[in-house]
Amino acid sequence: MSSSHAKVAVGASKDSSFLGGRIPSEIEIMAKQLKDLDQEMFRKILKAVVSAIEGKDCREAMKAIAENAALPEERLSYVVAGMYRLLKEALRIPTSSLKQEVFKEDLRELRIPEEFITDFASVVFGNRRTALEAVATQQGPRLPSLKDFRWRVDVAISTSSLARALQPSILMQMKLSDGKGHRFEVPVSKFQELRYNVALILKEMNDLEKRSVLKIQD
Amino acid sequence: MFTMQLFNQNPNKYQLFSKSMKKTVMAAIITETQSIKEAVTSINTIELNKFSRLLSRILQKLHLKEERTFSEEEEQKLQSALSLDKQDLSLVLDTTAFILEQAVYHNVKPASLKQQLEKIHLSPEKAEAFCQAWTAVCPDVVEKVRQRIFAPKKLEHVGWQLNLQMAKSTQAKLKDPHAVLELGVRNEDSESVVEKVFVEFSHQELLQFYNQLETVQAQLDSLT
Repeated sequence: MSSSHAKVAVGASKDSSFLGGRIPSEIEIMAKQLKDLDQEMFRKILKAVVSAIEGKDCREAMKAIAENAALPEERLSYVVAGMYRLLKEALRIPTSSLKQEVFKEDLRELRIPEEFITDFASVVFGNRRTALEAVATQQGPRLPSLKDFRWRVDVAISTSSLARALQPSILMQMKLSDGKGHRFEVPVSKFQELRYNVALILKEMNDLEKRSVLKIQD
Repeated sequence: MFTMQLFNQNPNKYQLFSKSMKKTVMAAIITETQSIKEAVTSINTIELNKFSRLLSRILQKLHLKEERTFSEEEEQKLQSALSLDKQDLSLVLDTTAFILEQAVYHNVKPASLKQQLEKIHLSPEKAEAFCQAWTAVCPDVVEKVRQRIFAPKKLEHVGWQLNLQMAKSTQAKLKDPHAVLELGVRNEDSESVVEKVFVEFSHQELLQFYNQLETVQAQLDSLT
């Protein structure tokens, strides 16, 4: 009771950690396992987990750690699971909302040893942050995006129905991020419609970004 | 230079020469084959106003490739209305359509068309009917045929949605505008099915796309 009052007095505007009201079990278990873990070993595991978050294949690294460690496999798996969850949750929140001090404070609450807290903080707030954020932007549910766009303008000089046609048309080829390709012809009038609509969306995006709803502080 | 000499030497000859030139160009449109002769004979028997209506109906559907101008029942009704048997009717319909298609292909003037029709012994009143119908719709039909594109797939419909992404499973507290473009692409063979292609764009991606569209527009502008 008194500790929570003290927190409020200090000015912390939250009454739960950045992990939410209920700490995920894998993180709690990890916290216990970290107690008598050697820092060298911890850093190796941390490195492997970070490259996994970046999307790289870390099976080799994990195998190496599992083989020569003095760590029983079960313990290793708890530590890895907890680390992954902790980092993912922390990286989810933008740095404008989660400050380093608060992050460290929350980890102290979990009774994670101080040196490890510093290591965690350096991943979440260090210079690797932008790379990790870029990966997070790419992931997540998305409709296919445009990977490759090619086009061609043709003029039909003559057709079987018209000796002198002189009609321009546009052929578009789109390759989407889900691997599908689409090739289709666009009549000039439809092309104008497409161009107009895209310009309209861009204008609306610009207006949206200026609007006050986006200036609300988190 | 050559023509001037010719003119000075023999003005009449020159006139004959140019007239024959014109004639050869005109004759290219319709040649009087056996089936044309038969068709003309049948056409000349049809009542004038019925024929005019037939003409405008055929003209309406001329620019549509695959559609039949008349359904089975309509053809049967026509047979009795025009007192023609099935063979003769289809010859009449095909020939009329052919004449009109040729007119479109060469983009002939109505006067020239009339002359051609009289040449294949179509009765003057029928030729006049052709002429009038053609004058009325000529530019539209030519334009519609011109706009017909041969392509297995054609873009028919453009729709879009602008969303503001507030969060996802991997990132919280976003304020990311995202646009989704819906492109309705019609397949040439399937008349009713329109394939919908959804493409998502971030602000940056959309800007890139727009710049590419602008390049295309510059190319189109350089054509005119």
